Amino acid sequence: MTDAPEVLKPLRTWSHLAGRRRRPTEYEVVSTNLHYRQDNPDSPWELDPDIHMNKWYRQYCNDSPLRHEDWDAFRDPDQLVYRTYNILQDGQETYVRSVLEQFSDREHDSGLSPEWVAVLASHYTPARYLFHTLQMASSYLSQMAPASTISNCTTFQTADSLRWLTHTAYRTVELSRTHPGAGFGEKERQLWEQDPAWQGFRELMEKALVAWDWAEAFTAVNLVAKPAIEGAVIAGLAAAGRAEDDLLLALLADSQMRDAERHRRWASALVGMALETEGNKAVLDEWVAGWQPLADNAVDAYCSGLPGGDKIAEETKTAAAAFRTQAGLD
Amino acid sequence: MPLLDRSEYYDLIRTTNWTPSYVPEDELYPEEMSGSRGIPMEKWETFDEPYKVAYGEYVANQREKDAGAYSVKAALERSNFVDNADPGWISILKAHYGAISVPEYAAMTGEARMARFSKAPGNRNMAVFGMMDETRHGQIQLYFAHEHTRRSRQWDWAHKAMHANEWGALAARHFFDDMMMTRDAISVSLMLTFAFETGFTNMQFLGLAADAAQAGDHTFANLISSIQTDEARHAQQGGPNLKILIENGKKDEAQQMIDVAFWRSWKLFSVLTGPMMDYYTPLESREQSFKEFMQEWIIGQFERQITDLGLDTPWYWDEFIRALDETHHGMHLGVWYWRPTVWWNPAAGVTPEDRDWLEEKYPGWNDTWGNVWDLIIENLTEGRPELTGPATLPMICNMSNIPIVGTPSNGWNVKDYPLVHNGRLYHFGSEPDRWCFEQDPERYQGHLNFIDRFLAGWIQPPDLSGGLAYMGLAPGEIGDDAHNYEWVARYMPAQAAAS
Repeated sequence: MTDAPEVLKPLRTWSHLAGRRRRPTEYEVVSTNLHYRQDNPDSPWELDPDIHMNKWYRQYCNDSPLRHEDWDAFRDPDQLVYRTYNILQDGQETYVRSVLEQFSDREHDSGLSPEWVAVLASHYTPARYLFHTLQMASSYLSQMAPASTISNCTTFQTADSLRWLTHTAYRTVELSRTHPGAGFGEKERQLWEQDPAWQGFRELMEKALVAWDWAEAFTAVNLVAKPAIEGAVIAGLAAAGRAEDDLLLALLADSQMRDAERHRRWASALVGMALETEGNKAVLDEWVAGWQPLADNAVDAYCSGLPGGDKIAEETKTAAAAFRTQAGLD
Repeated sequence: MPLLDRSEYYDLIRTTNWTPSYVPEDELYPEEMSGSRGIPMEKWETFDEPYKVAYGEYVANQREKDAGAYSVKAALERSNFVDNADPGWISILKAHYGAISVPEYAAMTGEARMARFSKAPGNRNMAVFGMMDETRHGQIQLYFAHEHTRRSRQWDWAHKAMHANEWGALAARHFFDDMMMTRDAISVSLMLTFAFETGFTNMQFLGLAADAAQAGDHTFANLISSIQTDEARHAQQGGPNLKILIENGKKDEAQQMIDVAFWRSWKLFSVLTGPMMDYYTPLESREQSFKEFMQEWIIGQFERQITDLGLDTPWYWDEFIRALDETHHGMHLGVWYWRPTVWWNPAAGVTPEDRDWLEEKYPGWNDTWGNVWDLIIENLTEGRPELTGPATLPMICNMSNIPIVGTPSNGWNVKDYPLVHNGRLYHFGSEPDRWCFEQDPERYQGHLNFIDRFLAGWIQPPDLSGGLAYMGLAPGEIGDDAHNYEWVARYMPAQAAAS
């Protein structure tokens, strides 16, 4: 049926990866260049170019002030694919289940001091709402990021946030059984909406959830909010818990922090890639400067009610700033 | 104390709605992204997904499923099934992977729309697993297709198709973008998960899996049935939202969304799945006809589901049932005739035995489509192959973006359904296609289908070579008859006399 002379020869991989010297990894084969909406900047979606969603993607993805000529070049430093994510997290969850079972067997919750139980009721179980906001915000990044390799990281981050939420819900029920009068499973929404300890984080996350520009949302969530939340609400609270013999909380937190550290690895890599383009550092620094006061206030408000809270607040803010500096920002 | 049962803490996992105050609720959930249609937040909190799973179970189940699918693939790799399989079956694999892998990955975005913007907390959580599932389906299908890239450049299209302006890929994008990428969260749950996944993916993944098992392709059969187990779970997000819409006086809107999504899904399947099942699958491997699969999966199950939920069957139901005998035959004829314009090699599927089967399954086939194939066969047996390929362009529907077809020859009923809107003349392949457009003209009015682009001068030179270049199809990729016309020998006078 053809009279054209040259016939394309089969390749050892996808044509878009074929020009490279080395054989592509499984990660590259299944993760790269999948957002076809990036092909036609005038009409990301194959419908009328002026529908709401085409405008939304043009404005908040394609026209973001953070620019790069090839976002598809981004690679997750962990090179996670769906298959390996489940292997990794099933291992983690098996560990968490065994920790939960052992501590339940030894009636861990009955041995907690009333003072610490009160802290768990005020500062731990309401985090279910906070983790859910991270889940929502991460899923926004998945639908808006300019490269599939970025979206995959945020999709796993979305699932990890649901993981943290699930652990918290589980513990809420356990604590409510041992300490029925402490408000577990009953007061979390009220505390999240009204208690001064949570208002800083709620303000930060409600505002981060409407940062529609994909790169600003990434900055607000991954560079500012998450380091603050993970520092204070996960690691900081767990450190306070260790002092109160709440080793269970500490072990859960350690497992969650492994997710958080993975999130920071890809976020740093993405910042590193963004900094290759002139002008991006100023964009990121300006965004961080805008969001950081909200996060710092949130950390202070949350930590003020914690035993040893001042130290936790300082360490959290210092570590968050160090994370951004290491990534190459001011 | 033993571990808590999931049912003891599940409700807390989905008790996550709060009253925002630093940002107004309608800014946190913009109507165009959320689609809550004025129904208050607390009503959405009644969302109750029938299939419940918690995070720890999810990663354990999915790890096991992947272990199964990947190990079957690894175990069967040495059997070189693909090198020895019927070329018609290989065409199914190429068409399927190109049309399905990347759109499945894209469905992650539809799921993420629900995960972020649905006001139902249960919906937001289930959609996280949906995002994960669709990431799986994109990745695993790309992985399975990738090992074949060394066999032919057509396999490259498992990744490339959705990036190309090939007409079928363009139609698939128009469909998927309309159903799942550009809709609010609630619409996605109805149009993608309820109408498309509950109804049609069963067809593609279980129906085709049955044919695959018959054809001996256990890797593919196992892969797509494994995918369907995920679909069966996350497809259940639409039902609870549908219930909330109906309870809150939004039945008409829900009905309209289902009716649009169902018709559009049907048209895509008529060009993708219909020819695969009734023509490309080797005769001895056909489990049922496309129509029989449709009757079982769509008419039998989907119709019951929508009526159980309090909806009506779509207004065009009689036309849909009538079209089950027609549309995909026309699509197949068109795809085979315009075979250089696809990334797989269409199998004609019209040997004398095939035709007996078609006549049995679709009485009257020989008197209609058969007559057209007779002419094609005559041209091939008498040495006029140039008359069996495209010299002109087909009429393409401005909704489905696939050719406008009907019954040819003695059943002739081919008809255009035109509409003038804002001074532009649009063409549609059926009354329901035109109706879909009329429900929301702003969504579609500025889109140009392949023929519109040709007429607008986007395709240069304005002939087949320009068309192929625009579509990204080069020699080595372009389609030709799957069996290299060997089947035509059956109709050569000497052979015909002998048989």
